[in-house]
Amino acid sequence: MFTNRTLWIGLFCLAMGLFAAGCTSSAPTNTLIYGRGEDANTLDPINTDIGEAVNVIVNIYDTLVTYDDRTAELVPGLAESWEHSEDGLTWTFQIRDNVKFHDGTSLTADVVKTSFDRLLQADHPLVYDKARPYQASYNMIKEVRSDGERSVIFILDRPSAIFLKNLTMFPASIVSPTAVQERGEKFAERPCGTGPFQMVAWDRDQKLVLGAFQDHWRGPPGVDHLIFVPVQENQTRIEQLKRGEIQIADNLSGFDVESLASRADITVQSQDVLNTAYLATQTEKPPLDRVDVRQAIWLAIDKQELAKVAYAGQATPAVSIVPEQMWGRAKLADRPFDPDQARQLLAAAANDAGFELPLKLSLSYMNRARPYMPRPETVAGFVKDSLEKVGFQIELVPRAVNQHFPFVMAGKHELALAGWSSDNNDPDNFLYSLLDPDNISDAGNNISRFRNAEFHKLVVEAQGELDEGKRLQLYQRAQEIAFAESPIVPLVHARANVAMSNRVFDYQLHPTGLVRLRLAKLKGQP
Amino acid sequence: MMRQVASRLAIAVSTWAVAVALIFVAMRVLPGNPLLARFGQHPDAKQIEQISREQGWNRPMVLQLGEFFWKLGTRGDLGKSIARSHVSITDELRVRVPATIELTLVACLISIPLGITMGVAAAVWQGKWPDVTSMAAALLGVSIPVFFLGMILRGVFTFLPTSARLPLNEFNFQSITGLMLVDTLLRGRPDLWIASVRHLILPALTLSSVPMAIIARITRSSMLEVLHADYVRTARAKGASFARIVWRHAFPNAAVPVTNIAGLQIGLLLSGAVLTETVFDWPGLGQYMAAAVVRDHDYLAVQGGAVVITAVFIGMNLLLDVVYLWLDPRMRGI
Repeated sequence: MFTNRTLWIGLFCLAMGLFAAGCTSSAPTNTLIYGRGEDANTLDPINTDIGEAVNVIVNIYDTLVTYDDRTAELVPGLAESWEHSEDGLTWTFQIRDNVKFHDGTSLTADVVKTSFDRLLQADHPLVYDKARPYQASYNMIKEVRSDGERSVIFILDRPSAIFLKNLTMFPASIVSPTAVQERGEKFAERPCGTGPFQMVAWDRDQKLVLGAFQDHWRGPPGVDHLIFVPVQENQTRIEQLKRGEIQIADNLSGFDVESLASRADITVQSQDVLNTAYLATQTEKPPLDRVDVRQAIWLAIDKQELAKVAYAGQATPAVSIVPEQMWGRAKLADRPFDPDQARQLLAAAANDAGFELPLKLSLSYMNRARPYMPRPETVAGFVKDSLEKVGFQIELVPRAVNQHFPFVMAGKHELALAGWSSDNNDPDNFLYSLLDPDNISDAGNNISRFRNAEFHKLVVEAQGELDEGKRLQLYQRAQEIAFAESPIVPLVHARANVAMSNRVFDYQLHPTGLVRLRLAKLKGQP
Repeated sequence: MMRQVASRLAIAVSTWAVAVALIFVAMRVLPGNPLLARFGQHPDAKQIEQISREQGWNRPMVLQLGEFFWKLGTRGDLGKSIARSHVSITDELRVRVPATIELTLVACLISIPLGITMGVAAAVWQGKWPDVTSMAAALLGVSIPVFFLGMILRGVFTFLPTSARLPLNEFNFQSITGLMLVDTLLRGRPDLWIASVRHLILPALTLSSVPMAIIARITRSSMLEVLHADYVRTARAKGASFARIVWRHAFPNAAVPVTNIAGLQIGLLLSGAVLTETVFDWPGLGQYMAAAVVRDHDYLAVQGGAVVITAVFIGMNLLLDVVYLWLDPRMRGI
């Protein structure tokens, strides 16, 4: 009996100890813990297109040209200055002096050349994974040459207005060739760049730990350690934030942050981040080849209401596919929401083309949240209801993300939900990628299969136009055509929400949506 | 008896091979492929075509399957992940499987003794309050969806951590076996041992709810059968104590079906507690497989996971068969 009682007392003490330990667990200060939905897949900048990988990559590496800390303006990065020849085909960059990689090696022109060769050459010996999703964004580069220690020359095969902007993108990050060589295919897990943070440890799907790089050319960052943790469920992420287990929770929808409004110790930042959610019609399939039918669809959807219903108000109604905050967006007055006019247009079209009402169409959509669409099924339901009120009959067809996009890219849909987040802060990235006939194929992003010769001419001309004023005019005209022809209905531009503990300061969401944590700092314990 | 064990082993191995082959084929027949998932909204037809060729996906499926089993059999090589650029699947599973084992074992340590106690109490005091409360708890246990229970527990126990296996800022801790409860002690860090127990409480409680309920109900019904048997009455007539009647005479005979169910439950839990692992972000096998199937469509990761899961499940069944042969002499004749 005595031994039994001892056992119970022992267990009781143990249990109490466990709870007490909870109150005293102390975190080393100055470690910023950042919670997001997924882990990175690789940290080799040429091999990914996943946002969660990009957000780590931009903290480990630098690029030749970069964005201002607060705005989307282009500023010198690892290149101090640059100039281009009259014809726009030769660009010369002067490389910054005294820049060190995390492995102690120095930045030289040759190193820069190697980074670009890895990105571009079909069989480069230092490439260990051949999947390079962004390679096509750099296909204007014919050759990269180093000239002495400090200058790098890019030879282009056509003048390109987006070349400089694409150099700010993460695939163009400068890597240490010494480290790539030494670490081989493990480089993807043990990356080495010149950025403000360096790799410490990575337990996949548990935590990715970066440490401050004291020798960064812009000075050491604001925190000693930065830990990225993947937490799939938004609600779990919010719970962790409330408990102080993490200090920043990102990628939250408007619905998720509603419950945080009353918390004094948590701040929610919300910002437009250059994306567009849209409804695409398959313009090759009659009667969607008729502009009046497409305009009827446009008129039937109340975007203001959609932003409330499917985004908890955290979205702006869209008129053009180009995001509102982006340079080059045309000033267009939207067609006001008008179901009556939509019904009349559709009825007239039915009469003219001889199809029956209600017009049966399928609407394909993805069954998982995207940054521009946190609740695709709500958007799909809203579109279905709106269209059925004016004479359509809509069948909803959900698919997994990795099946939805191949399906619509191959043009097998009738109506489809899609969206795009800016890669390089340039309208070309939206207009050319999403609406130009060059991008119609089994795997092209022009999923509406919109073919307009004048539009194509304007957009292609703009790609090579280095004069910003002239380029702006070309884009204005192109967007007017897209508006008139309505191959897609731009729905909304979604805002990004980040919730963070009040201990975090000097961190602001970047307008490009990139997570750049160099300046973020932490106050002491709460 | 050895012959029976051997034949059951042969059946188990062939079942395993068939199951793995089915999953192998299913992944390739379903629409989509890992490269489409990998390239996302930036597909590059030329690169995709070239890499598929290098991976050998255009060859007949029988050849691919044969190669897979050959590599697995000769080198224990499960291949390298396509979604995550060259990570060895074996290495990933080496981390994932212990995480799931730890969670499952702790959940079993909670659910089996508790379930049996509840079931026995319910049977012994049939119709009285222990019966009513145990069965009500069991009913709740089977009927509350696991993710919902997880969310409730998370909301109630706000002082316990909701995710990960150790405090996030302990990034220097090097794991040895992958079982944190063991590693923290091996490394001489009792403070982390306590932390890892705290991290285990909520997910393990959540995970234990269903098996506990099922075990309680099975125990109750099989105890009820036995309690009315002649030998129990005889024992009572001989003046055996209450505890001796219940635990020495009745329970061992009621234990056979309970062992069976408990074993199957362990198999089920080990093969992936997807929901619990998702709610509490437990980096185990269930979460890994879910991501590999739904998000990445990663052929090799799914195959690797399937090899382990089917092996665990079939192995568990095999073990049960053998335990049966040992427990119940009547089975040996069959």
